[in-house]
Amino acid sequence: MSGGTLRFRPLDLGRWLLWGGTAVLFLVLPHVFTQGFALTLMSQAGIMVIFALSYNMLLGQGGMLSFGHAVYSGLGAYFAIHALNLIGKGQLALPVSLLPLVGGLAGAAFGVLFGWVTTTKSGTTFAMISLGIGEMVAASSLMLPGFFGGEGGVTANRTAGAAVLGITYGPAIQVYYLIAAWTFASMAAMYALTRTPLGRIANAVRDNPERAEFVGYDTHVVRFLQLVLASFFAGVAGGLAAINFEIVTAENVGVLRSGGVLLATFIGGVGFFFGPVLGAVVFTLFVVWIAILTKAWLLYLGLFFVALVLWAPGGLASLVVAALQAAKGGRLRRRLPAYGALAAAGAVALGGFVVLVEMLYHLELEAVNDPVLQLAGLRLDVKTAAPWIAAAAVLAAGGALCAAAWRRARRDEAAAT
Amino acid sequence: MEFFLVTLLNGLSYGLLLFMLSSGLTLIFSMMGVLNFAHASFYMLGAYFAYSIAARIGFWPALVLAPLAVGAAGMLVERWGLRTVHKHGHVAELLFTFGLAYLIEELVHLVWGRPPVDYRVPAALDGPLFTLYGTAFPMYRGFMMLVSVAMLGMLWLVLTRTRIGLVIQASLTHPQMVEALGHDVPRVFMLVFGGGAALAGLAGVIGGNAFVTEPGMAAMVGAIVFVVVVVGGMGSLAGAFVASLLIGLLQTFSVTLDWSLAGALAWLGVGLPPGRFLAEAARITVAQAAPVLPYLLMVLVLVFRPRGLMGTRES
Amino acid sequence: MTPDPPAIELRGLHKRFGNTPVINGVDLAIARGERHAIIGPNGAGKSTLFNLISGRHEPTAGAVLLDGEDVTGLPPFRINRKGLARSFQVTNLFHRLPVFENLRCAALWSLGYRYSFWHRLSRLREPRERAERVMEEIGLAARRDTPAGVLSYAEQRALEIGITIAGGARVILLDEPTSGMNRGETAAAVALIRKVTEGRTLAMVEHDMGVVFDLADRISVLVYGEVIATGAPAAIRANPRVQEAYLGTAHA
Repeated sequence: MSGGTLRFRPLDLGRWLLWGGTAVLFLVLPHVFTQGFALTLMSQAGIMVIFALSYNMLLGQGGMLSFGHAVYSGLGAYFAIHALNLIGKGQLALPVSLLPLVGGLAGAAFGVLFGWVTTTKSGTTFAMISLGIGEMVAASSLMLPGFFGGEGGVTANRTAGAAVLGITYGPAIQVYYLIAAWTFASMAAMYALTRTPLGRIANAVRDNPERAEFVGYDTHVVRFLQLVLASFFAGVAGGLAAINFEIVTAENVGVLRSGGVLLATFIGGVGFFFGPVLGAVVFTLFVVWIAILTKAWLLYLGLFFVALVLWAPGGLASLVVAALQAAKGGRLRRRLPAYGALAAAGAVALGGFVVLVEMLYHLELEAVNDPVLQLAGLRLDVKTAAPWIAAAAVLAAGGALCAAAWRRARRDEAAAT
Repeated sequence: MEFFLVTLLNGLSYGLLLFMLSSGLTLIFSMMGVLNFAHASFYMLGAYFAYSIAARIGFWPALVLAPLAVGAAGMLVERWGLRTVHKHGHVAELLFTFGLAYLIEELVHLVWGRPPVDYRVPAALDGPLFTLYGTAFPMYRGFMMLVSVAMLGMLWLVLTRTRIGLVIQASLTHPQMVEALGHDVPRVFMLVFGGGAALAGLAGVIGGNAFVTEPGMAAMVGAIVFVVVVVGGMGSLAGAFVASLLIGLLQTFSVTLDWSLAGALAWLGVGLPPGRFLAEAARITVAQAAPVLPYLLMVLVLVFRPRGLMGTRES
Repeated sequence: MTPDPPAIELRGLHKRFGNTPVINGVDLAIARGERHAIIGPNGAGKSTLFNLISGRHEPTAGAVLLDGEDVTGLPPFRINRKGLARSFQVTNLFHRLPVFENLRCAALWSLGYRYSFWHRLSRLREPRERAERVMEEIGLAARRDTPAGVLSYAEQRALEIGITIAGGARVILLDEPTSGMNRGETAAAVALIRKVTEGRTLAMVEHDMGVVFDLADRISVLVYGEVIATGAPAAIRANPRVQEAYLGTAHA
């Protein structure tokens, strides 16, 4: 028997630690960050993690770029919130804890409905069909007020129904733990799916759909199944959103939300399973936290996204993995001073840039009331020239330092190899 | 009858506007393989630039300067953005233009604010061109059609009668060969992208004051332009022309029609379908469904005839 | 006792692309277990013929029969499921997947796992063993975890053959398997092809006459979309029409 090598798999222990650690993290987080705001952040991040992972089943694993994924999560949310209302009226005997399942099944059902025609081709055609269906559903939402609730959307009370084990979902902490449980379960399930025949064949179809046909696979069926599974998890995310926010509006199926999950997934990195997890957390930080700090948050997010597309299309995950590989190869220690210098210079440039942008926003939006911008302890009168010149100088200096640090790093790297 | 004629002309003028947008998009897509998500953003920039320029020196200079400014912006985007991302593949290019659309909208928010701006039709062009039995056809719509046709005529002349046009046509289908023959294809790409952007900007100049000028206009028009390009056949200018007119007429006519399925059933003497949901759906008029119709058409085309009306390839 | 139907039978096969006729009436029968080479000058339509047999293109007229069953116009995956596999002249791999996964994916359908999303892939013994065995046969065991896109050209050609045979197909089509290889690589490839097509039917497009005369039981010569001669190697060598078609270019 040739080729039957004994496979020693130390990685298994690592994998158990990773998953166990994640579970512990979910359990412990609300006790580390105890403010109410942190809880909001973590709850929304959890929902986004499921949503982004489901999106990556299409993009990263299946090679399908969708501009309409919010259709499945949004319709799942609508079905879930209607079900929640039915529970409240005593017409549906379903524990609220299982409500995300309703969202998931609804999402999957629409995946079946729209999925077959959507997945005939991949590539640009798929992207366009997904956009068309997304716009269609979003436009229909105003035409069918009975289901979509018109402009105001549909609301519900998440404390409805019988309290199981004393859990009413009134307090936010209970909602957090519900989301955490579903997030962990969904992560595990989606990870498991990547290690099935379908999951691997979806990768093959992504890489070379033609060859996949010649080894016996109908690529249409493969993509269709992948889409239905992905829409299930999108629907779960939608169901959790319905519980968390207690309202579902046309925005849930809209183009902005589809664009958002695309951004989140791509920022995290589509080439690794944990990429969308990272991206979902970063995206939620932008949307929930940075949006409070500054009016320019969408600009920063857009610039961050474009910067990644231009210079790190593998996303944050690819940067993390590259750093880890460098560490494993012993190269990290050598490169650390160069990275450090680059990071410091980058921070300076970023500081100057942020000050300029904040001043610009302040000038356009607030200066009529109060020309002084309070930023990080500085008082900047945007109507005078001094802060502008100073900030521009800082930006220029930072930029020059970055360029120098980059050149130095390249030279050092070339000399070392 | 006169109402029909006026609506027809309105639909045609809108369709020609759509063709100005979709022709640029088609050229860019055919040549560079990039589906430019930010194309409608250039339309929006054209409208806003024209608004600001017109406020200072008048509409007629704006008609010339605004598209040039947008074209220059387009060339910069190609030179510093697309060219960098080109090596990462088509998906990356698409995502770059997608992010660019976000950024441009945010910049417009910043500079001009969120509410619509008062970009008006110039007084010289305000008023009816002619009146058919009481229904007026605005002079400005006629002006729009004139500018569209003139611009597109010029485009056709450039493409078919000039040397650079010949190179562009060749690069549409065989860019590597054109480069092997010694032409500076990257420069051609930059010109085409800038030209497409300028065309979109011009459409914005003349369309922004006829319709509304606000930050959401890019998203609205952008989606329709994609429908046009898909229905017409990606890569086909003739298809884009036919589809533009078709969709322009479809959108213009559908908002005027109060027909509904329920009405048709009543006319046939048949009752409404059972169930609250179905009855509600049957009562939807064509006018109410108007926003959905173009996307429905696009999905149907993609399912039954992915090549589009006159496309030569699918993607 | 009726004789076995031919593994591949082509009846009156025609193919035109637009207005250009490429295959102009091909009749051919390849017996079960036979090793059949298809040769001809460039542009004769050899790859097109393979595309017609394997379902990549639909014939304009005529019929393709696999083991006596009409498979004309079926999509590639259906033909593959009936037991025919092909390789490509331009390497056509799953470039981001490692070598092992390329082979495993090629084996999954034939081993019955289809679209399963409930089996744990790492637990499935048969696909793993099949992939490992093919990996050994094509000599890429050392490159098990290397992404296919990163392999050298010769390694990719070997993997190309590996993917073709990993599904256990009865009928194998190889499209210029040794193109771009040097002498040593070609000899290794020939030995590999001979070993893995033992007991199977092989149809092969080749330009390297050494390989052709080494491996083939019978040879067909395709010129301008028509088969001008079919027969044993010696007969083909001596055929004046063949010599004319290959004027000065035959090297044996």
